[in-house]
Amino acid sequence: MNPKQLILASNIQTHLCLQRHLLVTFFKTGALLCSRDVSRGFLVYPPSLRLFAEGHAEAETRLPSGATTRHFHPSNMLSRLVLVSASSLKGSGALGAGLIQASRSLHTSSQSLAPVPPLPEKGGKVRHGIIPEELFQLLYPKTGVTGPYMLGVGLLTYILSKEIYVINHETFAAASIGAVFIYGVKKFGPSVAAFADKLNEDKVAKAQEVKDLAMTSLAQAIEDEKKEQWRAEGRSVLFDAKRNNVAMLLETNYRERLHMVTNEVKRRLDYQIALQNLHRQMEQEHMVSWVEKSVISSITPQQEKESIAKCITDLKALAKATQAKATA
Amino acid sequence: MALSFFDQFMSPNFLGIPLIAMAIALPWTLYPTPSTRWLSNRLLTLQNWSINRFTQQLLLPLNQEGHKWAALLASLMIFLLSLNMLGLLPYTFTPTTQLSLNLGLAVPLWLATVIIGMRNRPTHALGHLLPEGTPSLLIPILIIIETISLLIRPIALGVRLTANLTAGHLLIQLIATASFVLLPLMPTVAVLTTALLFLLTLLEVAVAMIQAYVFVLLLSLYLQENV
Repeated sequence: MNPKQLILASNIQTHLCLQRHLLVTFFKTGALLCSRDVSRGFLVYPPSLRLFAEGHAEAETRLPSGATTRHFHPSNMLSRLVLVSASSLKGSGALGAGLIQASRSLHTSSQSLAPVPPLPEKGGKVRHGIIPEELFQLLYPKTGVTGPYMLGVGLLTYILSKEIYVINHETFAAASIGAVFIYGVKKFGPSVAAFADKLNEDKVAKAQEVKDLAMTSLAQAIEDEKKEQWRAEGRSVLFDAKRNNVAMLLETNYRERLHMVTNEVKRRLDYQIALQNLHRQMEQEHMVSWVEKSVISSITPQQEKESIAKCITDLKALAKATQAKATA
Repeated sequence: MALSFFDQFMSPNFLGIPLIAMAIALPWTLYPTPSTRWLSNRLLTLQNWSINRFTQQLLLPLNQEGHKWAALLASLMIFLLSLNMLGLLPYTFTPTTQLSLNLGLAVPLWLATVIIGMRNRPTHALGHLLPEGTPSLLIPILIIIETISLLIRPIALGVRLTANLTAGHLLIQLIATASFVLLPLMPTVAVLTTALLFLLTLLEVAVAMIQAYVFVLLLSLYLQENV
């Protein structure tokens, strides 16, 4: 019986006990009110019943309506009630009988209440197919190994010689059917036995397969659960990684913008530098052209003629020099 | 004891007590009751398996109504099989050699099938009396022939079983006697006769099983027609 049934049974038991107690207390209080001796009927009566209590004749004369009264005889009533409650306790409901045989489970124990030994798995050992091994064990101390065989041969000889068994045509028929039977058993016996064993083994294998399948699926479920727990543990690592990612993104963004700002500022400064360079260059060119212009304008025509005559004399001297070098 | 050839066919009596009841009840003692255990021993496993297989095979052609006869047909088969096989042992009495027993099994069961057929589907049952596609001239003759065939079924069932078993037993007795008598006179012929006896015994074992099966099979066929 599983725990649920036991609890249910005990509940019912307590309920019935309560009921019985209630009934008994009810009657006890009734007894207090009436304080009657149950074996002899009412002795002291409550006021309401006094009218009926003082003998039949007076009661009859007292009552105007003329109704007859009866003595209460509760002697059998309480005993009836006790009987009723006891039988209801024993056989109450579906579990009344089960309460008594609570110790026998249905399929794993023999159903008899006597201490019966368990059934043997294999049949008794036999020699030559028929004769039980116990006979040989019985005769071994006195007659040794050949004892039972001597007994058999002697018995057979006795039966044949005293013509207790007469050999007739039935003997031949018996020999024939005996031969067929023994041949059949010897040839087909092992295969039939193996077939029967296989039937049983298949049954066991089916049940075992169900059990193994259930076990593997449960083990798999345990593995999956552990994996899920491990995954749940890695939650914080995941969040740290995410946080790192976000921080990196922010950092990257910040640096990009910093670069951008630097570039812009540099561009503006470069522009200013270029502007200054331009200014200087223009000033320089202007000055140079002004100096050239002023020098050119300061050259007088006299100076120009003198310089040209000087150039011609220089050129003549040069020509002479080269001529002299060439002829020399 | 002096045995005549027909002693084995006389219903056995011992001190006035008819032993036929014991002979008929004997097969029941040979088969163990299926136990409440989940795995039983070899005998019970084989018994359960064979009865289940046999019943399944027998009830294949029957419809749902005919499945009500499963217990009857299976137990009849086991009964007849055991009686026949036990009768092959020496000095035994085979109840199925008695025409009374076989007719007592055949007539009520056959009559039950006919009454079931006539009661539930009378036109269908009567329709079996005329095979399909007969020429119109032959119809009256064929009805008569089919009715005779229907009425002869129980007799055929009973007599078939009786005759086969009786003939087989008698043959075994005769050939055994021949072998026994020839043994001092012509031993070689006796040996040949014994070999013949051995073959005959094999045949008788087969006949015992087949006759039981045929009885039950024919009854299931009659049931299939009518149910």
